[in-house]
Amino acid sequence: MAEKVDLLAVFPDLEPAANAVERLRALGVHDDRMNVISGVPVTEAMLGRAPQWTNVPRIAMGGAILGFGVGVFLAYIAPFLYPYPIQVSTQGFVPGPPTAVVLFEMTMLGMLLSTFLGVFLESFFPNYRPMKYLPEISDGKIVVFFECAYAEENKITDALKKLGAESVRPAEAQPL
Amino acid sequence: MSDKQHHAEHSHEEHLREKHLMLDPLPRGKMNEMVMEAMLAKPTWKWWLVFSILAAIVAYGLFYKWGILIMKGQGEAGVMRPDYWGIFLVNTVFWIGISHAGTFISAILRVFKAEFRRPFTRAAELMTTFGLVQAGFSVFMHMGRVWLAYWLFPYPNQRMMWPNLHSPLTWDLLAITTYLLSSTMYLFLPLIPDLAMARDRSTGWRKNFYKILALGFRGTEGEWTHLRHAMNIFAFAIIPVMFSVHTIVSWDFAAATRPGWNSTIFGPYFVIGALHSGMGAAIAVLAVIRGTMKNMSYFIRGEHFDAVGKLMLIISMGWAYFFFNDYMVQWYGGDKWTQQLLHFHEAGPMGWMWFAMLVCNIVVPWAILWNPKWRATPWLVATVGLIINVGMWFERYIIIPVSVTINRMPFTWKLYKPGIEVPMSIGTVALFILLYMIASKLIPLIPVWEVQEGQMAHEFKKFGRETVVTVSELE
Repeated sequence: MAEKVDLLAVFPDLEPAANAVERLRALGVHDDRMNVISGVPVTEAMLGRAPQWTNVPRIAMGGAILGFGVGVFLAYIAPFLYPYPIQVSTQGFVPGPPTAVVLFEMTMLGMLLSTFLGVFLESFFPNYRPMKYLPEISDGKIVVFFECAYAEENKITDALKKLGAESVRPAEAQPL
Repeated sequence: MSDKQHHAEHSHEEHLREKHLMLDPLPRGKMNEMVMEAMLAKPTWKWWLVFSILAAIVAYGLFYKWGILIMKGQGEAGVMRPDYWGIFLVNTVFWIGISHAGTFISAILRVFKAEFRRPFTRAAELMTTFGLVQAGFSVFMHMGRVWLAYWLFPYPNQRMMWPNLHSPLTWDLLAITTYLLSSTMYLFLPLIPDLAMARDRSTGWRKNFYKILALGFRGTEGEWTHLRHAMNIFAFAIIPVMFSVHTIVSWDFAAATRPGWNSTIFGPYFVIGALHSGMGAAIAVLAVIRGTMKNMSYFIRGEHFDAVGKLMLIISMGWAYFFFNDYMVQWYGGDKWTQQLLHFHEAGPMGWMWFAMLVCNIVVPWAILWNPKWRATPWLVATVGLIINVGMWFERYIIIPVSVTINRMPFTWKLYKPGIEVPMSIGTVALFILLYMIASKLIPLIPVWEVQEGQMAHEFKKFGRETVVTVSELE
């Protein structure tokens, strides 16, 4: 028999879910072994959990730098690649204002594309494997998934039910 | 507290609940059910009739006529010396303008935490994407040899010649591509949780459809955190992109030393014009959604028409300010050709359009939108929105084909008369509506999770003897 068991507790609201997180911690379940799933963005502070790490802003910054690089290529280098250089009126060969436009657009495109891809990378999207989930979550229920010692299961179940859990049961991966 | 006071307070709260969606919460499951019911409702014969008519218009006006244009050449259109820029470019500018409302409503109102935006951000974001599709079609129509469109892309051809990156037309490509891609991504990100909701409630092919699009979203803390950060980045970054797009479009004209075009104020004038037409179109779309889809009167209420109506009024005043500013400076400058052009605008054969533009863009919105009761009447505000769009289309028509009639070579002056452009233009309008109709059956038009988030943040609080509404900052 496995020493550890995966459970899920279904809560009707945020307050009992936050209390449950605190209680689980008191009962020895480490934060790394818990995951809260909700149908609305519930912040870590509301749940009394440590802030979630995200690399999305860094990936966005990386994309902006890459986009800027493409802009530099198009604005500064491409004009020198023409077999017959184009001189527009009395403008310099690489004039400032048009260069600013190209740099701006490419930087923004790089940043926004990478932000979008960042969500995919960070969330492991797309992911079509069976996962631990309950459809009731998108109906507003808040579900706390956690892993605990098999010997603790009954004690934790009782404690969570006292805090308002509608049900506490084994969590199983299922096709979404 | 006496019974009378208690009753008065209770009825005050009830009144506020009826008026404001954020104060009138329903259980999340119920709201999901309402949105799904609206989406899955079996189309009526009226729906199919409208759909068929629009599809026929698109097939004939857009694709058949476009085929004729491609086979026979641009001579089929009314563009010829001196009017080489005709309705296709009027439509391009018009549709890009329409697309601005999506970003304005979704990004700017999100940044400023305007709560009334919540139920209709998606309908507005769809407008951005669908509007830009029409703008893209219009550019390609103008291009003539559309199969060579790839020449625009910044890479060298076999003669090692790159597109001229000093040209506003090339900036257009970069700006519009950036805007189309970013607005589509910005539409998709907040849609993911609602697609997951639809996935949880669907069967058959729809289940697979939503399952694929929802990407495996469950709503974990990590997924929400990544999504929240991405949406914040998008909301802030897409605003300057939006401004840049229409400013660059304005430079297509302003960078030329033509009478009537060479204006330093064209950038902001175009941006405010884009918002003017975009907000008008957004309110019309909202009225149609509310009037034709099930359960939508719960989500889209008089308060939303009132709020957007106020914005329309302010934007109309801004447009009037920029129009007069541009007109005043050109008029005062005394340049011979500019004077001729201004006279041609007002007293020439298209003078009726110039005056109609002022009536549609200024007189009608000012006459109606000042009144809070009228502003909260969906059909009335939607009608004003449509009238503004007529006015803004006239404005673009005056700026482009009417203005290029008058140049510094009077022997070339000839009024533009559109030909094949007319059915093709009607085809783009039909395609825009058609795309909305299809979208209304495929994706949840109401961002339910955003509505619920807003409702969680609102509550009644007593200050002394008065009950007021307070909003917590949850985002």
